[in-house]
Amino acid sequence: MKKDLVNILCCPTCKGDLKLKVEKEESGEIILGSFTCEKCKCTYSIEDGIPDLLPK
Amino acid sequence: MKEKEIKKIVREGYANIVQKKNSCCGPVRPCCEGATPAENISKNIGYTEEELKSVPEGANLGLGCGNPIALASLQKGETVLDLGSGAGFDCFLAANKVGKNGKVIGVDMTSEMIEKARENAEKGNYKNVEFRLGEIENIPAADNSIDVVISNCVINLSPNKAKVFKETFRVLKLGGRLMVSDIVLLKELPEFIKKSVEAYVGCISGAIMKEKYLEAIKEAGFQNVNIIDETSYPIELLSNDLTAKAVIKKAGIASEELKAIGNTVVSIKVEGKKQEIKQNIFIKFQ
Repeated sequence: MKKDLVNILCCPTCKGDLKLKVEKEESGEIILGSFTCEKCKCTYSIEDGIPDLLPK
Repeated sequence: MKEKEIKKIVREGYANIVQKKNSCCGPVRPCCEGATPAENISKNIGYTEEELKSVPEGANLGLGCGNPIALASLQKGETVLDLGSGAGFDCFLAANKVGKNGKVIGVDMTSEMIEKARENAEKGNYKNVEFRLGEIENIPAADNSIDVVISNCVINLSPNKAKVFKETFRVLKLGGRLMVSDIVLLKELPEFIKKSVEAYVGCISGAIMKEKYLEAIKEAGFQNVNIIDETSYPIELLSNDLTAKAVIKKAGIASEELKAIGNTVVSIKVEGKKQEIKQNIFIKFQ
């Protein structure tokens, strides 16, 4: 996923803002990493470039 | 069936479709020889040959009731969200419409579908399309961030349609629009079909009455809610073997009975708008 799309994402559970942690990046694409909701602290993984934003 | 149970059944059903290339909800006519079954379905529901050829092979699983009108309305630079994006067919068509300054985001709760969609995006070298694993009842998009929400024969599968429309309203910008295509009912279905798992996955038993569907859209806050198109959806023509055949076999019903049920199922294309709030207060002095 692309970094600039982070600002239109939100926590699916509480709609809080998500904080991005990048572990692997390839030519502007985030391949591996995670999101943490700043409000409810739920974490969501990014694997193979796909964010798993199913509610926890 | 409980909400969680329904989601699990739908997820598993569609994961199966990706693997077996089965198809769902689309009337099939014995025409267009040489084309794949998915292409035939898609032609029948209004996509053009050019559109079908413009997407990566494998992106069209023939699972929709068709949303070409919504796609036709897209403008360059718009941000589009596709609820239940499947293998990405409508997302890729939308991506061609919104151009490089636009964005298309597909949300699907089946990881097999998302993986397939991502492979297809790579195959087609799409830079403006992204996919997220997520639920349409809990859309992982920020408030007021989307210009157009599209969805093609998916919301009927949700056990909480009111929530889907509320979430859609939330993520749309002011002036943004909802343009969905879906299956609804003109008459309540008999109990045995309502309870059928196969019929649920095949977009039938999760469908609700047309009035209720439109009411849910209006209650979410949408204005100018209109049906743009309505087509009857004969159950015996449903391409999905999972649905029609399994329901017939399990229930042991005669084909005449089945036809009568079929007349109650329609495919609609609906639009709604998240209006900018205009407070025009007219005070009349007398």
